[in-house]
Amino acid sequence: MNHEQTSLAFRENSVRALEDSALRAAMKQAADTFGTKRADAFAPVADLEALRDRASAIREEVLASLPMYVDRFTAAATRAGAVVHRANDAAAAREIIRKILADRGARLIVKGKSMVSEEVDLNSHLEAAGMEVVETDLGEYIIQMEGETPSHIIVPAIHKNRQQVGRLFADRLGVPYSDDPQVLTKIARKALREKFLSADAGISGANFASADTGSLVLFTNEGNGRMVTTVPPLHVAILSIEKMLPTLTDLPAFIRLLPRSATGQPITSYVSVVTGTRKAGDATGAKELHIVLLDNGRTEINAGESRDILKCIRCGACMNVCPVYRTVGGHAYGWTYPGPMGMILTTLLTGMAKSHPLVDASTVCGACVEVCPVRVPLVDLILELRRRKVREGFSDPKEKRGMALFGKAAAKPALFALGQRLAGAFWPLVRALGGKDVAGRMPAPAKTPLRRRLP
Amino acid sequence: MQVLLFGTCLVDTFFPEAGEATVRLLRRFGAEPIFPKGQTCCGQPAFNAGYEAQSRAAAEHFLWEFDGDAPIVTPSGSCAAMVKHHYPWLFRDDPKRLAKAKRTGERIYELTQYLVHVAKAHEAGLRGKGTVTYHASCHLTRSLGVREEPMTLLSSLQGATFLPMPDAARCCGFGGTFMAKLPEISCALADEKAASIEATGADTVTGCDSGCLMNIADAMRRRGTKIRVAHIAQLLAEGL
Amino acid sequence: MSGADRERLFLENAAIAAAGTHSVSDTGELLAALRRVVATDSPVYCPGVTELEKAAAALFPVRAADYAAATVTVEEVFGAVAETGTIVCVSAGGRAVQAGLLPAHHVAIVRRDRIFGTLDDLFAAVAGDPPTNLTLVTGPSRTADIELTLAIGVHGPEKLDIIVV
Repeated sequence: MNHEQTSLAFRENSVRALEDSALRAAMKQAADTFGTKRADAFAPVADLEALRDRASAIREEVLASLPMYVDRFTAAATRAGAVVHRANDAAAAREIIRKILADRGARLIVKGKSMVSEEVDLNSHLEAAGMEVVETDLGEYIIQMEGETPSHIIVPAIHKNRQQVGRLFADRLGVPYSDDPQVLTKIARKALREKFLSADAGISGANFASADTGSLVLFTNEGNGRMVTTVPPLHVAILSIEKMLPTLTDLPAFIRLLPRSATGQPITSYVSVVTGTRKAGDATGAKELHIVLLDNGRTEINAGESRDILKCIRCGACMNVCPVYRTVGGHAYGWTYPGPMGMILTTLLTGMAKSHPLVDASTVCGACVEVCPVRVPLVDLILELRRRKVREGFSDPKEKRGMALFGKAAAKPALFALGQRLAGAFWPLVRALGGKDVAGRMPAPAKTPLRRRLP
Repeated sequence: MQVLLFGTCLVDTFFPEAGEATVRLLRRFGAEPIFPKGQTCCGQPAFNAGYEAQSRAAAEHFLWEFDGDAPIVTPSGSCAAMVKHHYPWLFRDDPKRLAKAKRTGERIYELTQYLVHVAKAHEAGLRGKGTVTYHASCHLTRSLGVREEPMTLLSSLQGATFLPMPDAARCCGFGGTFMAKLPEISCALADEKAASIEATGADTVTGCDSGCLMNIADAMRRRGTKIRVAHIAQLLAEGL
Repeated sequence: MSGADRERLFLENAAIAAAGTHSVSDTGELLAALRRVVATDSPVYCPGVTELEKAAAALFPVRAADYAAATVTVEEVFGAVAETGTIVCVSAGGRAVQAGLLPAHHVAIVRRDRIFGTLDDLFAAVAGDPPTNLTLVTGPSRTADIELTLAIGVHGPEKLDIIVV
């Protein structure tokens, strides 16, 4: 399974996506559905703005003292029986996890949804070591079977329709074809139940981690999160360091915001709070818990101008309202994280050289800023990355020359007026020279501009 | 009362009729519009594309051309938002210009803001005809917070019927340099917007920002749709 | 908020989340409610530890020793939250958290004085010394991963019944 980043081909990727009518229909349906559901879910919430302010303040507090909260979490989780590992980068995270599993002879691993595990490309590393890794979130299970990557962080298989899923299950699982989602879900339940009960280990992510109690918090609807974290004897959790909350009592604000922002539910079917390993007197729960805290560039991001992106709680609300994401889907962005938060985080984590077209993948319409539950200043962050792109020399040379000229003309009225006249005189030439994408979509300049019509 | 008119580079160059209509409206409601001849551009195209120095050069010139105490009126939500919200940041290291930028930001009105809050034009019994729908441009709505004023004015037109568009505030795909950098996505978004407009059955679509209207007109042209695309200044001025 | 209001809000919200809801005043009514929701010949897993569980267990002759083999679990849970219609399951006291997870049908008994008003009330009570596993359960398991069409009953239970005693 090829997880090569293809962000440099964003424009080509998006042109292909635009031609995929099934994808466009799926994305449109998703956007319309999520938009309405989110609005309906928040309608009865008294004082949403105060809730967002509070959540935003909590996230800012964490980032302001991130190393302290990470240390505090580590100590508390360790006291509760977990082993906590710090992974500086993707390679370290993969290897730490592989070793934990290999040392215990783990061969069958069940996995809950974790964007961070995609970020570090964990699955292929474990599979190369001879382990069987089974994705248990239904959407992830589907795309794993197809050999694809997720196109949305909340509903990873949103780009697939029921017929495609039906054919996939019929082919791979040897079941009779059905395109009824209820039937397909039951098929998956049966197939995965066996895996849960015989797995040597469970790998999960975490939506949040509370620093005071050393707890991991998982929001799920399917029950796979609960299975993965309590059924196998060994539980490995991987999460990035900015997922901290100061205390477990900070959690309610996020329970009120995240499910509504993500899927329009007042609360997910399950919110699991896992604190350490089985204690004396416990009948069940993982005997061993290993928590891998991933940095992968976040400490550096936290020290810079783009630190506010680390406030993100991965709800997906920004994606659901983004005009660009809604039209081209997640794969076009070419890496783990798509949409508004994705274009920013991808550029910061993988570097401008591998991501720079992404910073242009926005009309800066501001719809994302309106819905972000923790007030990440997404538009400001995108503009900051555009400035960085220019400074670091990744802009198109023609554009640079054009902007240099613009800067001069904007400051010199005579030059500006001359430019107007020249544009007017040479418009047909501009169009003919291949300006059809731009000049072809604009009317010709007026014969007499406004400045010559007024006294 | 004197007001300074900021035409905007798009209106000046491509849609001077909207500028002339703005002048007629201002005069009708008791203002004497002055068009500083040296005006150029607010700097937004450069600012949105990440060219800080060039956008600052444009902004410095704007502050100089529009110096004074008179209100500034502009037929563009995105330009008004640029001046109000981004000029202070551009001059963050320049205390004198920062002070001037803040004062200038307090003086600038997008046209419908001025017409409703200062001129009370919605109470003047302006005339209209046919059926009109409205595209709510992104910076106007989300940056400047102007949501009601254009609809207040359109609803007040005697003889015209206002037909609201679903998802009126959804981005049309213009996005300044976005339309040049990602034209395929821009066209797809413009097509969706055009389809929303067509679905209202209105004979005219209007808005407060020329960039959006230009992009919408292009989509209409590609689709062979015969709906009129006109800046709100023109519609209102026709009703004088 | 009075206890009666809390209970009413809890049952309303639990029903919205597709849980079956029942409110009873004593053990006799509890057993009647259980008979209504569970066929008495089903293989039932019941821990039989609390007073209410012992009474419930007496109803079911076919007892599954292991919840993995049961079609239904009947158990008393730690508490509930009115704000969201949630029941709270914990691992403390030797509770098997998977008991309410693996079988297709989960029947949760909640004492009415264990209904918290808000999520803040719940977390204030447990955050001092959280158990190994604490799960907020709201309705049966579900997914909308296929075409955003809601399907009830994924890996967790397909049916959740809540009886407030």
